[in-house]
Amino acid sequence: MKGREQRPDYGSFTVLKKGGVLSKVADSPVPGMTHELSTQTFRQHAFLDALLHNLTRVSAIIVLLLLGGVIASLIYGSMPSIRAFGFGFITSEQWNPVRDAYGALPAIYGTLVTSAVAMLIGVPVSLGIAIFITELCPSWLKQPISTAIELLAGIPSIIFGIWGFFTFAPLMQRYVQPWLISTFHGVPLVSSLFAGPPYGIGLLTAGLILSVMVLPFITSITRDVFETVPPVLKEAAYGMGCTTWEVIRNIVLPYTRTGVVGGVMLGLGRALGETMAVTFVIGNAHKIATSVLAPGTTISASIANEFNEASSDLYTSALIELGLILFVITFIVLAIARLLLLRLERRDKV
Amino acid sequence: MDRASTLMYRRRRMRNRLVLVLSIAAAVSGLIWLVAILAELVWRGAAGLNLQVFTQMTPPPGSDTGGILNALLGSAVLTLIGTLIGTPIGILAGTYLAEYGRGSKLSSVVRFINDVLLSAPSIVIGLFVYQIVVTSMGHFSAWAGAVALALLVIPVVVRTTENMLKLVPNQLREAASALGAPRWIMISQVVYRAARAGVITGVLLAVARISGETAPLLFTALNNQFWSTDLNQPMANLPVMIYRFALSPYPYWQQLAWTAALVITAAILLLNVVARSLIRTKG
Amino acid sequence: MNNPPDDAAPPIQTYISPHATAPSAPRGLPKIDINDLSFFYGEYQALKNISLPLHDRMVTAFIGPSGCGKSTLLRILNRMYDLYPKQRAEGKVMMDERNILDPKQDLNMLRARIGMVFQKPTPFPMSVYNNIAFGIRLYEKVPKSEMDDRVQTALKRSALWDEVKNKLHQSGLSLSGGQQQRLCIARTIAVRPQVLLLDEPASALDPISTAKIEELIYQLKSDYTIVIVTHNMQQAARVADYTAFMYMGELVEFGQTQQIFTTPRESRTEDYITGRFG
Repeated sequence: MKGREQRPDYGSFTVLKKGGVLSKVADSPVPGMTHELSTQTFRQHAFLDALLHNLTRVSAIIVLLLLGGVIASLIYGSMPSIRAFGFGFITSEQWNPVRDAYGALPAIYGTLVTSAVAMLIGVPVSLGIAIFITELCPSWLKQPISTAIELLAGIPSIIFGIWGFFTFAPLMQRYVQPWLISTFHGVPLVSSLFAGPPYGIGLLTAGLILSVMVLPFITSITRDVFETVPPVLKEAAYGMGCTTWEVIRNIVLPYTRTGVVGGVMLGLGRALGETMAVTFVIGNAHKIATSVLAPGTTISASIANEFNEASSDLYTSALIELGLILFVITFIVLAIARLLLLRLERRDKV
Repeated sequence: MDRASTLMYRRRRMRNRLVLVLSIAAAVSGLIWLVAILAELVWRGAAGLNLQVFTQMTPPPGSDTGGILNALLGSAVLTLIGTLIGTPIGILAGTYLAEYGRGSKLSSVVRFINDVLLSAPSIVIGLFVYQIVVTSMGHFSAWAGAVALALLVIPVVVRTTENMLKLVPNQLREAASALGAPRWIMISQVVYRAARAGVITGVLLAVARISGETAPLLFTALNNQFWSTDLNQPMANLPVMIYRFALSPYPYWQQLAWTAALVITAAILLLNVVARSLIRTKG
Repeated sequence: MNNPPDDAAPPIQTYISPHATAPSAPRGLPKIDINDLSFFYGEYQALKNISLPLHDRMVTAFIGPSGCGKSTLLRILNRMYDLYPKQRAEGKVMMDERNILDPKQDLNMLRARIGMVFQKPTPFPMSVYNNIAFGIRLYEKVPKSEMDDRVQTALKRSALWDEVKNKLHQSGLSLSGGQQQRLCIARTIAVRPQVLLLDEPASALDPISTAKIEELIYQLKSDYTIVIVTHNMQQAARVADYTAFMYMGELVEFGQTQQIFTTPRESRTEDYITGRFG
């Protein structure tokens, strides 16, 4: 507010004594009207105003510093590894603690593949659920399902991890993987994708668990975005005789395209960084195999599994560099998501 | 309608029905897995539920008695301290974004950075805290774990606080100013009060989020087999305990892992329900 | 409302300064004297060189079509625009020999002497009692018994006491719309201002509450200088002693209410009053 820096003007009040009580000076037409104030109160107000302003500003800056700190510490911790391996770190497949030689490629590959599987399955299903909730669901069912989805989104990832380990992986091993292997056996190209002994664990298993995890998250974002479509638009289409699917395809989806993509990218960011859901079932093998049924590793799984057992400083540094790479990947994905969602907001404000 | 358009009409109806069936199938198949997971969690976890689970410490490997008391307590302590550290910073930063910094460059930058932190992989946050706290202290500790959790609380609280404060109508602020209230009174006695339910909900949601986080604790607070209230030492906590015990070959440890998982999930679901009902009643 | 027959209408005159044509101020200098005031939203000029007096313990109404600047003008009087960065005012607004627009003017003190009631009732999220005590506590340390009295006085003067005396500790939000608005008025007069600014105080209320508010204004007039913005011409005719007609950021005509509504000097005024536009 203007005038805060200068000594406040008390108007027609005069100060009788410092810290004491002012007597009425305002010669107002209303008899008996007094304002008893002290200079202290005014000084207190000005002080507290400045205090709150600065406290909040400092807290906002702390948020900035946090991110800066994270990036700085990641880079600092990766320096030994960067110096030792250079750019080849990203393309190398080696991982030998005995010889202190490390490469990030299997971890990056695993992160990308598991996330891709999670998205390929999760996104269509999420869209389906969101479409169901917003367009097809009877109204008494809408709120319970939506609440259920929100609650399911809050289940911690370690639950998915142990479930995957104790239940899903054996399931994969006993039924799904042998079926996949035998079905695609001999089919050119695809057979190598689904080859190998059925371990139960592996990239595909981890990807599938990830898809179940990411489902509630993307569903709730997509549903929120679908709800922003102005009812008049949909009514106009229905009024012309469009079927529900036609309304969705021609009105809802184009209108919400940017928002849906933004939501999907947020889900992708989540999948990329997920640790506990995949650590249990990924297999922890720093190898790249063509088959998705083979064990592998992801960046976060590597760090989770190996950080506390890292036997040398270079080992630790390599793991931190993995973390840095993961951070950069998720940062890029998030930045794109934010830009898309911003564009959506701006468009709606027009 | 002639034959050609009847055909088209029928095709359109079929396509519509197909989509309907597919989306119901999607809903069912997606939700079925989630329901199955919850059901198994309850089934396996409840099997191990008994009094000693809540009254005894984590047992050594191979034993078939024991509980999770130290992990329960440790989780409570870590969550509490993490929330106490992160919430004030989060609320104040959110207040800055909503009350002082509307439209300023600093605000847009902070908002973006906050979103990045919100969605950053929690294991990376753990790495950061490891390098800052654990290496300077020389060892793992509950403090490090609490700080890591606080760093996860801050972005959530910043965002919910900002959104809730922005929902307070400007007229209310003007009414307070018109009476001559200085800004700090306007914010603390009027705006905060009006947004109280929403801000508290945000904090509860943040608590729910950190209660289940494992990755950031893996190399900060670590875990502790024994009863410890020393904040300078590693502290037992449920998530890391579950991680260790589930992967072990000891059946009783695995049972404890399931039961602990059930306890965490129940607590988080309860927190979520409470938080949402808060908004609904005030709102 | 009497429309003078066309052949009796005065010839169209050029704009005359209201100070020259205003009736003699009843009690000396006006309480607030607005002098050559202009107001800008960023680059856009919303008010153009407004000059008019607001007489002590009289009700002055600002009327005009939507967007003419009457609310803007009102909100300058308690420097409400200070909350928003891109808005600024030029000119002089004198009260008690001080210029309100002076950057050195302490805003909190100003607002202790000039109170405002808004269009939409805005009770604070507190009890009825605390709503009123809030303002008092800003300026005075008052012991509980005296505070009880002050609250009661304020509520009585706002014609709300009988309706809420058993609900003092219930939330202010639990009252009806009309009651909430009277609560806001009580809250404002509890700090004993000299001037009351009312921004369309009854436009969000039903007719019965509106009547109560208008009666309240009539009673309060004996102690406060009142400025009221209204889009309801009949309301202005009922409650105001003086009326200012504004159009597109300019003050078109100012004078005693009776004169404005029966023999307006400006054709634009006459057009507005007879409903030809707005």
